[in-house]
Amino acid sequence: MSTWAARLDNPLSARLRDPAATGALGIFLGAFAAFLAIPPIEARTVTWPIVVGIVAVALGIWTVSRGRRRLGWGAVAAGVLGIALGMLATRSSTENLGSAFDATLVAQTFSFATPLVFGSIAGMFSERSGVVNIGLEGMMLMGAFWGVYGADKGGSWVVGLLVAAGVGGLVALVYAFFAIHLRSDQIVGGTGVNFLAVGITGYFFVELYHNNPVPNGVSLLPNVRIPGLSGTGFFAQAIGDLNILTWASFALVILAYVVLFKTPIGLRIRACGEHPRAADTVGINVYAIRYGCVVLSGILVALGGIYLSEGPQGNGSFIFNMTNGRGFIALAAMIFGNWRPAGAFGAALLFGFSSALALKLQVYSSSAATLFQILPYVLTLIAVAGVIGRTVAPAADGKPYVRQ
Amino acid sequence: MSDDLVLEMRNIRKEFPGVVANDGVSFDVRRGEVHALLGENGAGKSTLMNILYGLYRPDGGEIRLAGKSVSFSSAREAIQSGIGMVHQHFMLVPVMTVAENVVLGSEPRSGVLLDERVAEKRVADMAKTFRFAVDPGARIEDITVGQQQRVEIMKALYRNADILILDEPTAVLTPQEASDLFEILRTLQREGLSIIFISHKLNEVLEIADRITVLRRGKTIETVPSEGATEASLARAMVGREVLLRVDKEPAQPTDVLLEVRDLHVRDDRGIEKVRGVSFDVRAGEIVGIAGVDGNGQTELIDALAGLQKIESGTVEIAGHALTHASARAALDAGIGHIPEDRQRRGLVLEFSIAENIALHDYAKPPDAKWGWLFPKRMVQRARTLIREFDVRGGGPFTRAGGLSGGNQQKLVAAREIARDPSVLIAAQPTRGLDVGAIEYLHRRLVAERDEGRAILLVSLELEEILSLSDRILVIYEGRIVGEHTGDITEEEIGLEMLGGRETAAA
Ligand SMILES: Nc1ncnc2c1ncn2[C@@H]1O[C@H](COP(=O)(O)OP(=O)(O)O)[C@@H](O)[C@H]1O
Ligand SMILES: [Mg+2]
Repeated sequence: MSTWAARLDNPLSARLRDPAATGALGIFLGAFAAFLAIPPIEARTVTWPIVVGIVAVALGIWTVSRGRRRLGWGAVAAGVLGIALGMLATRSSTENLGSAFDATLVAQTFSFATPLVFGSIAGMFSERSGVVNIGLEGMMLMGAFWGVYGADKGGSWVVGLLVAAGVGGLVALVYAFFAIHLRSDQIVGGTGVNFLAVGITGYFFVELYHNNPVPNGVSLLPNVRIPGLSGTGFFAQAIGDLNILTWASFALVILAYVVLFKTPIGLRIRACGEHPRAADTVGINVYAIRYGCVVLSGILVALGGIYLSEGPQGNGSFIFNMTNGRGFIALAAMIFGNWRPAGAFGAALLFGFSSALALKLQVYSSSAATLFQILPYVLTLIAVAGVIGRTVAPAADGKPYVRQ
Repeated sequence: MSDDLVLEMRNIRKEFPGVVANDGVSFDVRRGEVHALLGENGAGKSTLMNILYGLYRPDGGEIRLAGKSVSFSSAREAIQSGIGMVHQHFMLVPVMTVAENVVLGSEPRSGVLLDERVAEKRVADMAKTFRFAVDPGARIEDITVGQQQRVEIMKALYRNADILILDEPTAVLTPQEASDLFEILRTLQREGLSIIFISHKLNEVLEIADRITVLRRGKTIETVPSEGATEASLARAMVGREVLLRVDKEPAQPTDVLLEVRDLHVRDDRGIEKVRGVSFDVRAGEIVGIAGVDGNGQTELIDALAGLQKIESGTVEIAGHALTHASARAALDAGIGHIPEDRQRRGLVLEFSIAENIALHDYAKPPDAKWGWLFPKRMVQRARTLIREFDVRGGGPFTRAGGLSGGNQQKLVAAREIARDPSVLIAAQPTRGLDVGAIEYLHRRLVAERDEGRAILLVSLELEEILSLSDRILVIYEGRIVGEHTGDITEEEIGLEMLGGRETAAA
C-alpha cells in the first residue's frame, strides 16, 4: 500500500502516465525511427526502424485512448512515416546515404533557410503590430530583382542591398497605406501586391535585360570565411564559409527577439497587435507603429529576396518569378514558430533542411526528393491543427483599427 | 468643503451621425470630491468622459482644468494633464502581465531596454500602498475581473492622475467586489484625488458620491449634493417623470392551462443532469416566476422548453399539444415566445439591422416572403410599426442592432417575440443590466401581455423582480421545484428556500 502510494507520488512515473507526455514521446520515436537508417547510426536492416516505429504507433494509440486524440494521432502518423522513410533509406546504397548526410548538408540548410529567416522575421514585425502581410512573397520578389539591378548598375552588392531594401520598403509603404489608412481587406491587398510584383519584375526584366540572365561579373553578396576554420573538418564545411546575409540572419533573430520582447517599443508593438484600443488609450500612436512595422517588414523581406538572386545559389541572375512561394513558406515558418523569433528560426531551419535534403536526395530518388519538398506545408498544417502545442496569432492581427 | 474647482466642463456638445450624444452639458468637480454622473444608458455619460480624456473631439464647449482652458487632441495629452480613466470595457492586453499593462506607454528604461525589474517593483509598491492584492507578474487573463479593475486604477495612478474617471465600474463586479472598490475609492479620495464616478445605479451613487450630476438624453438636468437626495428624486430626474419602482397590477385572472410540464429531466452540455423531474403548469393570464440561485437548472429548463436543449425524459405540452422533442422552429411555431437571457449573444444578431432582426423568425413566411422570395420593403415596413409600438429608441429599421443601448436592444427582442402573438412567453432575465426607465417599461409590458391572456413564465435571479411581477412563484433548487407560493411571502422566506433550506431536509 505504502510503496504503491510512494510510486504514485514519484514525479517521473506520474509524468510517464500523463497522456501528453506519452504522445510527445511517440512523436519523437516516430521521427527517430527514420533516423535509425541514415548516418551516423545507419542501421542496415529494416528491423530497427520498424520496431521503433511500432512502439511509436502503440504509444499513439494509448494516448488516443486516454482522450488526447490529436496528440495521439500525431504519434501514430509519425510512427508510420518513420517506418516508411526508414525502409526507403535502408533500400538505398551506403554511398548514396553517405553523400547525402554530411557537413555540406548543414551549410546547405543554412543557405536555404536564410531567405526564410528574413521573411519570417519580417512577417513577425508586421503581424505583431496587427497587420497581416500576405504580400511578403511579392516584396521578396521585388527585392530579388531590384537587388540585382542595383548591384549591376551601381557596381557593388552594397548598392544592390540598399536598392532592394528601398524598393521593399516602398512597396510595403504602399501596402500599408491600403491596409491601415484605407482599411482595405488585408488578404486581398497582399495578394494584389504579389501579382503586382510578378508583373513589375517581369516587365522590367524584359525591358532592361531582354529576358537574358544579368551579364556576368555582377558584384555578388560575399561569403564570410571564419579565420582558422578551413579544410575538410566537419565544422569547417558546415559553417566555415557562409554568406554574409546568412550571418546577418542569425543576428536578425537575436535582434528581433530583443526588440520585440525586451524594449519599450517592442511592448508597444505587441500591444498594438493584441489590443490597439488599449494602446491608443495610453497615448500610443497605433497608426505610426503599424506603418513603421509594415515598412520594416518590407525592407527585411526584400533582403531575403536579394539573397535568392545575389547569393550563392542565384549567382547574380534573376529568373522570372524566382521566389516561387518562398514568401509563403516564410509566413508558414512564422506561424509554425508561433510568432516568436526563436520558433520562426527553428521552423526556417527545418524547412531549409527539407529543401537541402531534397536537393541531395535527387541523386538517387527524385520522387523522395519531391516528397521532402512538401514537408514544410505538411508540418505547418500539423502545427496549425494544434498537434504540437497550439499556435496563437496576435488577437488583433489583420483587423484594421478605427479611431473615433 | 473647499470650492477649489479642479475641472469645469461647460456647454459640451458632441454629435454622432443621427444622434446628439452631448447637448450643452456642463458640470464641475471640486478637489478631493467623488462626483457621480448619473444617467440612463445612452444618456451620454461615456461620450462626455471620452471627450475629457481626449479620445473624442467635442463639437463645441469648453474644458477648464484648475481654471485653465485646455483642449486635448489625444489621450496622451489628457494623461499628461493628470487625467486617468478606467473604461467601461477594460483596456488591458490579456496576454501581458499586470506590470506590463500598467507601464505600457510610459515604460521605465535602462538604456534602450525595458526595465522590467523597476516596472514590477513600482507596481508592487503601489499595490502595497493601496492594498490592491494584485501580483505584478500575473497575466491579465489569469486574474479576476475585480483585480483587472484595480490594474486599470493603477494605470491611472502610475501616470500621476489627480482626476480619476471610472465609467460604470460596478457593472462587472460582484457585490463584495463592489464594496472593496468603494473602500479603495475612499482611500484615493483621502490621498487627494478627485473622482468622477459614472453609474446608473441609484443606491451606489448615494453611497459613494459627494455630489451628483444627472444627465438625461445628452443634457444636464441638475447637480445636487448627495445629502438630501433620495432614490425616488434621482430616478425622477434621470427618467424625466415619476418612476414606479414597484409594479402596479390587478390580481391575475388565470384561465386555461397553456403550458404543461411533467416530470422533466434535462442534461446540460457536459452531460450533467441539471433539471431533475420538474412539473408545473402556467395558465393563460398569469405570470409564473421561477426564483433560484444562478445555476440551479434554470438555463437548461428554458432551453428545453424553447427546443434548444434535448429533453431526457418527461413531457411538455403547449395548449394541449405535445411538444416534447420539438426543434426550436417547432417550438416557435407551436406558440412559444422566448426572450433569452443573453440578448446580445442569443437574442439578436448584432451585425444585422433592426428590420432584419425582427424578421429572424418569420423571414420565410408572408408577409416577409412568398414563394421563397424575400420582400425587404415589407420587412422594413413591419419594423417601422414595431419600433413605434415598442418605443425602440436610437435608430430606424436600418440601424445596426449592436449600435442600440441595452434597454432598446431588449425592447427590440421583446417586440419580435410578442409580435408573433405567442400563447406562452418565456422571459429569462428580461431586465438584466437595464436602467430604471427600461426596467419599468418591460415590467409594464409583461403585465399587459398577461392581461392579454398569454401565459408568462418569468425566470429571474433578481428576487425583487420575481416578487413584484409574479402571480405565482416557484422556487427551483438543484433542478427540482422546492416550493410554490401564491399569496404574500417575504424575501427572507424565499431566500431560505432558494438555498435549499426547508425542502431538502424532507427530500
Ligand atoms: N462611437 C459612436 N458612434 C455613434 N454613436 C455613438 C457612439 N458612441 C455613443 N454613441 C451614441 O451616443 C449616445 C450616448 O452614448 P453614451 O455616451 O455611450 O451613453 P452612456 O455612457 O450614458 O450610456 C447613444 O445614443 C449612443 O448610441
Ligand atoms: Mg456608457
